[in-house]
Amino acid sequence: MVTAFTPRTLVEALRFRDAGPSIPFAGGTDLMVRRKRWSGTTPRFEQPALFIGGLPELQGITTGDGVLTIGAATTLTALLEDGNVPALLQQAVAQMASPAIRNGGTLGGNLCNASPAADTMPPLYALDAAVVLQSAAGTRELPIEEFIQGPGRTALAGNELLVAVRIPPRQFKISAYRKVGTRKADALSKLSFAAVAEVDDGKLTELRIALGAVAPRVVRSRAAEELLLDRPLRQIADRLPEIQAAYAELLRPIDDQRSSAAYRRTVAWNLIRDFLLGLHLKP
Amino acid sequence: MSHEISRPVAKIDNREKLAGDAQYLGDLHPQGMLYAKTLRSVKARAVIRAITVPPLPEGYFIVDRHDVPGKNRVKILSDDQPFFAEDRVNYIGEPILLVVGPEKERILAILDGIRVDYEDLPPILTLADAERSQLPPLFGADNYFAEYHFSRGQVDEAFSRAARVIEGEYQTGYQEHVYLEPQGVLAVHEAGKITVYGSIQCPYYVKNALIQAFGWDGDRVRVVQTTTGGGFGGKEDYPSLIAGQAGFAALKTGRPVQLLFDRAEDIEVTTKRHPSAIRLRTALDGTGRITAMEADIRLNAGAYAGLSAVVLQRSMFNIAGVYQLPALKVRGRAVATNTVPNGAFRGFGSPQAFFAVETHLDEVARELGVDPLEFKIKHMAKQGDWTATGGTYQQEIKLPELIAEVEELSGYRRKTADFARRDGARLQGIGMALFLHGCGFTGSGERDHIKARVKLHKRADGQVEVLAANADMGQGLRTTLRKIVAQTLERPLETIIYDNPDTDRVPDSGPTVASRTVMIVGKLLEEAARKLKAVWDQPGEQEVVKDYEHPANIVWDNDTFSGDAYPAYSWGVNAVEVEVDPSTYQIDVKGVWSAFDVGVAIDERIIRGQVEGGVLQGLGYGSLEVMECRDGRIQQRSVTDYIIPTALDCPRIESRLIDNPYERGPFGAKGAGELTLVGAAPALALAVGNALGVPIRRLPVTPEYLMEVMEHGGAD
Repeated sequence: MVTAFTPRTLVEALRFRDAGPSIPFAGGTDLMVRRKRWSGTTPRFEQPALFIGGLPELQGITTGDGVLTIGAATTLTALLEDGNVPALLQQAVAQMASPAIRNGGTLGGNLCNASPAADTMPPLYALDAAVVLQSAAGTRELPIEEFIQGPGRTALAGNELLVAVRIPPRQFKISAYRKVGTRKADALSKLSFAAVAEVDDGKLTELRIALGAVAPRVVRSRAAEELLLDRPLRQIADRLPEIQAAYAELLRPIDDQRSSAAYRRTVAWNLIRDFLLGLHLKP
Repeated sequence: MSHEISRPVAKIDNREKLAGDAQYLGDLHPQGMLYAKTLRSVKARAVIRAITVPPLPEGYFIVDRHDVPGKNRVKILSDDQPFFAEDRVNYIGEPILLVVGPEKERILAILDGIRVDYEDLPPILTLADAERSQLPPLFGADNYFAEYHFSRGQVDEAFSRAARVIEGEYQTGYQEHVYLEPQGVLAVHEAGKITVYGSIQCPYYVKNALIQAFGWDGDRVRVVQTTTGGGFGGKEDYPSLIAGQAGFAALKTGRPVQLLFDRAEDIEVTTKRHPSAIRLRTALDGTGRITAMEADIRLNAGAYAGLSAVVLQRSMFNIAGVYQLPALKVRGRAVATNTVPNGAFRGFGSPQAFFAVETHLDEVARELGVDPLEFKIKHMAKQGDWTATGGTYQQEIKLPELIAEVEELSGYRRKTADFARRDGARLQGIGMALFLHGCGFTGSGERDHIKARVKLHKRADGQVEVLAANADMGQGLRTTLRKIVAQTLERPLETIIYDNPDTDRVPDSGPTVASRTVMIVGKLLEEAARKLKAVWDQPGEQEVVKDYEHPANIVWDNDTFSGDAYPAYSWGVNAVEVEVDPSTYQIDVKGVWSAFDVGVAIDERIIRGQVEGGVLQGLGYGSLEVMECRDGRIQQRSVTDYIIPTALDCPRIESRLIDNPYERGPFGAKGAGELTLVGAAPALALAVGNALGVPIRRLPVTPEYLMEVMEHGGAD
């Protein structure tokens, strides 16, 4: 019985994926914690672990075709050290966990874990990122919104691996990130907020707002964004009730051991409101 | 003023801890050692109808109530808590039995196979449940492990004549110790004698608990403290329980048995700080002076009495804060609930009381339209005044100096005025708390219960060994007690030895609790050293013994709670500055400034460590450390979910010590360990209240709570 496999190449890894159920294991910072047992006993994996963290094909950050491509096993620390990674994503990563966990944890792992509180997700939603999924049979690309299906659920097929995250080459003059954690460091998010915008001649020409941990999946409302696009900034204040209504039905937070649904709902809206009202102050 | 004794030295355990050489409980693996794991109740309240255990493999054992050779009750104050459940369970996590054996995987498999057949009983989960008469009481007829009253002066008359009466209710939550090293013991049975090694604060508490549990003579029971990674009170009472359990297992199996908790288990089932609900009523005369106060204090004790009665006493004796009140009436109750038993925690009932009284008097002042600090200063006690229990403050009270120091460090008055002119955008506030800590055991406890004894043993080579039962758990005791002896003997520090206590070698100098060790045990050692010094030149080995003698002018009546509740008091003042985010309601602590009177510091750097650690632990208690019990189960069961401050959450902490030597403390020292925690949370809450312009009546002051306060324009 195979309980774990360390492939040397992506091809080997995909062949193993094809052969039967397995659990891709990159940094292990979520998988191991979830399976923590009595100290001195080994964690139990329901299926063989496939150690992909060291695969060379899943490393690195490139800008080859104009699009920023981040290997799925790139560590969070490596994201912080690369100047091509959008500042919005770096801001989120810089506030994740602790240095030791960032040295082990990977971008792909954070996505595949599919926690509603995953901190890399709101920036990636705001940046219109896509994921690249590969199997022995071929490769497909999905927008991140389609990849994440619910808490702990993704579109990853049993024979596939998430191999890369792709971010379109677009600079935003305005971007904002806010993590509301249980403390200032090494904390899970009660909720998080990421947004980018462009303003031209007093008008909002681009707006993307994404919120984490306030619903089963990251909340991004294109309807709400449309309500403000191509409109003068001075109209924002008047339209806030409409915007709030548009978000109200999407914000479906829960009570848990870290915070309350009421707090998450209220603060999510406060952060949206602050961002929108602050736009006229931005350069 | 600087004293020679106060000059910092390198702590004796620095090297072994930095090098990783220190041997903690988990590092001990004697030949043939077995592991133990506990089967726990999953019910808050139930009758156990039957327990079905699968066939055990060779070498594996079940250890339960039938394996207790003596009395199946943990000796603390009253013998109410069983080592292992008998016919019923009273909280989720209550130990039922141990599975013991050589391999952890097989132990887990055996645990998985055990079936407990429960018959549910209606649980009492909250203070409100406990007072609902339709639920069968958990303890006695009324569900109170302890109920006390005391009063002084003409309270009813003061209230009937009052120009004004102001009242408020104040609530605090749990606090978990989160010592770095979880609870653990190792028991060895050899030649008719049981030895327990443990991460503990009070070797003789454990020894006495074992004597009763085994029904053996004291010379067949030995307890050895292992290098202890933090205690904070959490290793005062709880270790007696697991020492007994591991001891029974060692007796039954004939092998050494390790019972060492993982973090999650430790957080969920070990004792915590008591949640409290405190109602205060203050009567004022026409000039705005307090004429009387009434206090009603309820502590949630959990399922067994443990130390709750004494914790409650300290809450009651401290409810008047640092103030001189003409009349005072106090009622206190330790309430039984079907939740994890609560116990000792740094401050021992006083953090709850100081939060209530400091917040309440601030509210009273604001209602009267006077400056809260001036109002407090007007009521502060002075030397010769009465204490809450009608004793006398016998030493000089240097609160005015402490306030001046903190004012100078913090700019409290200027900031108060600045922040009052709110510009609307920033919610800034500063709060100041005044507090004390009664050092040592309550009342005549040292004389009647502890009867401390120390020994000094001079070896032939001139080295001197300190023989005392007190435990260094990181607070630096092995260094400070050696300093006291070395300086008294005028011998080099390196020639004084103080090893982790072993009850076969050291006399009972009492537990390492209640901010008593340096003041009481240190003084005994100073006196013993003086005796030794007088005969120093005699050749060969020598041993001197020193017993505690109670000061004649400390008088206490434990039946009426009147007299001097404590032999001495340490004092402190904290200012905390915060900014509250108006969108997320998060609190950013901008700075903490504090001044303390601990008599004389035995080591200034060690005291600074106590200050920084105590303040930070107090800030965590006041803001971050949320622990909730839902349906009888603790919800925050990991360090991921139970949030203590990290280095980034630690503000700048500036502190000063003022000199106020205490004649009955060694070199003038008083207690320091608990004091430093007590004032941080009240000052933080006052600062937040100041920033928002509303009273804060609940700890911890979470963003979720502040959202409610801000949305509804007032507390609760």
